[in-house]
Amino acid sequence: MYTANREYIKRFGPARLIEHWLNAGTFIMLVITGLAQKFHGYEISQWIIMIFGGIDTTRLVHRYCGMALTILTLQHILVASFGILFKKWQPSMVIHLKDFRDAIDNIRYYLGLSEQPARCDRYDYKQKFEYWGVVVGGMLMAATGLALWFPTMVTRLLPGQLIPVSKALHSNEALLAFLVIVTWHIYNAIFSPEVLPLDTVIFTGKISRERMIHEHPLEYERMFGVKLTQHHEDDEEAGKVSSTTS
Amino acid sequence: MTAQKSYLCAFVFLVIMLSFSFSEAQLSETDQTCLGCHQMDQTMKFANGETLSLKVNPNDVEKSVHRIIGCSTCHGFTADNHPKRSYKSRKEFSSLSARKCRQCHDTKKNTIHEKLIRESAKNTTCTDCHSAHAVKRVRELSKGNQYCLTCHNKELEVHYKDGHKEKTMIDEAALNNSVHKNLSCVDCHVMVSAEEHPVRQFQNKRDFSIVMAENCRRCHFDKYSRTLEGIHFKLLTEGNAKAPICSDCHGTHAIASARKDKLSNARKCEQCHKDIYAIYAKSVHGSALINENIEDVPICSDCHRAHDNAGPHTANFRISVPQICASCHAKKEIMQKYGLSTKVIDTYLQDFHGVTMKFYKQHGQTEKQIAVCIDCHGIHDIARVKNQSAAVVKQHLLKRCQKCHADATANFPDSWVSHYEPNFQKAPLVYLVDLGYKIFIPFMIIGLLLQIVLHLWRYAVNR
Repeated sequence: MYTANREYIKRFGPARLIEHWLNAGTFIMLVITGLAQKFHGYEISQWIIMIFGGIDTTRLVHRYCGMALTILTLQHILVASFGILFKKWQPSMVIHLKDFRDAIDNIRYYLGLSEQPARCDRYDYKQKFEYWGVVVGGMLMAATGLALWFPTMVTRLLPGQLIPVSKALHSNEALLAFLVIVTWHIYNAIFSPEVLPLDTVIFTGKISRERMIHEHPLEYERMFGVKLTQHHEDDEEAGKVSSTTS
Repeated sequence: MTAQKSYLCAFVFLVIMLSFSFSEAQLSETDQTCLGCHQMDQTMKFANGETLSLKVNPNDVEKSVHRIIGCSTCHGFTADNHPKRSYKSRKEFSSLSARKCRQCHDTKKNTIHEKLIRESAKNTTCTDCHSAHAVKRVRELSKGNQYCLTCHNKELEVHYKDGHKEKTMIDEAALNNSVHKNLSCVDCHVMVSAEEHPVRQFQNKRDFSIVMAENCRRCHFDKYSRTLEGIHFKLLTEGNAKAPICSDCHGTHAIASARKDKLSNARKCEQCHKDIYAIYAKSVHGSALINENIEDVPICSDCHRAHDNAGPHTANFRISVPQICASCHAKKEIMQKYGLSTKVIDTYLQDFHGVTMKFYKQHGQTEKQIAVCIDCHGIHDIARVKNQSAAVVKQHLLKRCQKCHADATANFPDSWVSHYEPNFQKAPLVYLVDLGYKIFIPFMIIGLLLQIVLHLWRYAVNR
């Protein structure tokens, strides 16, 4: 199943890569067209809305992109559920108590209170945080977005105040998502010293053995049936170590 | 000019001056004879019982321009030939006597006199204006407006082609109370002067007024040029003579300052727009003005403008409505008097309709329709929202919503937070969501940034 390449280990198939970039594309479009509406008083927003050909077309583009992201999210949930239920995929994104402990351990490590960082599995707590942020946030955005798109249909059965509530949720959640992506995600994928100048995993689908041992030691141990010591994980030339142990 | 010529001029001038001073002092002997009797108190009786004093004041004659022509030139009597004549009335006497004037004075030179004499010879006589024995040069008669009023304070009429008659008598008191009291008649009546008074024929009074109103621009050019953009001028050029002109609103001889009285300004519009005025009078604005004399409220011209009033059915007018309302409703000093919120404009502009309207306006997409103030509050029938129960307001609002959102149901009006910034009483859920995020977003982002900083620090330490 995993590549025999000594230096690189396959991490994602093409479907996941395409999914990520479709997700990123629609997200960027939504951010541009959405924040321009939220911050409509700024000159840059007015410029963006003018480029799109007016407020109506800006809203139209926003809604179609929103539809695309909703479909992407729904298909992801369906595919993931199907895979877990029928194809024995590992539910590796499920949040465990260990993830909270890992987060605390890592912060203790950063502060110098502990000797080693948290030892994570296929997805560490940072990745789970972002993943669930996208899935849950995406569903929230889809639901509130639809309510804003079709207010008369929503209020046929539900109280009218849900419309301004939807607007508050949609617009605040959008700002939160945008800020998390530009700080946390961009840092972890581009500016973190561990990946600088760029984390290429999401382009190639492969991760270096060195980073694998360093960032996902539990998965590595399970994958290759080895027991890594603290020494291995700290070793600068982790590749060399792994070749002797495998 | 040569020296010789200037001497000649001075000499001629002196001779003229001297001849005046001599002749003024002395009447001819024949005239002295007449005055011998006519200086005494005596009266003449007419057939209808009227009397006329025959006493002549020698001073009048001496100062008159006719002092040199002698009594008999006009009266036909001499000391030897003085037959008794009788007249039916004083009027007949003066009109017959005045015929003599035309022997020397060719009235054809002045067409308005010609016309007056032709049309009502029995009623108008030369002496009415010029007087008899004290007759003076026209330019000495009177100065300025008084000159015009010499005739125009008399019961005279003008006849229009359509048969209508109009009195030409001017109320001098009204003239002196007007804002134009320092102007002279000819400043507006430009075709007329002390020398010229051409007879102009108009189809009717309206035609005359329309032509006259063109003269206002001689001073009020700014206002005039604005009317060129207005709907009233457009109607006028399309041939609608009923479209208002300057004088319809401002008046003519009794012209008053337009700044003074808001109610009377509004009533000017009522003259034509009766139905709308009746609706306005019942609205919160109109009733405050009419019943409570509150002048903070808008009158017609505050929204529609006075001179460049665009048609209210245009897209441009519609999209400018929030700005029009904001000109009062965003002003704290006005609104706090009546306990009204100035947030109404901001809350509108921050919401879906307001944002959309702003961009339509900005991108010139004025043909697109989006709810503005009047779509929910009404136009001339704007009512106070606070006086009605919430249920009634909601019921009315639903109907207004349905104009655009045809499938809106009873819950739909609640999706508008009604000009309040969300607070715990008015929209608790919205308020709590906003508050939650206001705390959560900085908490989250600062937390993540701290982790980044810690991570970088650990990395640097490890190296």
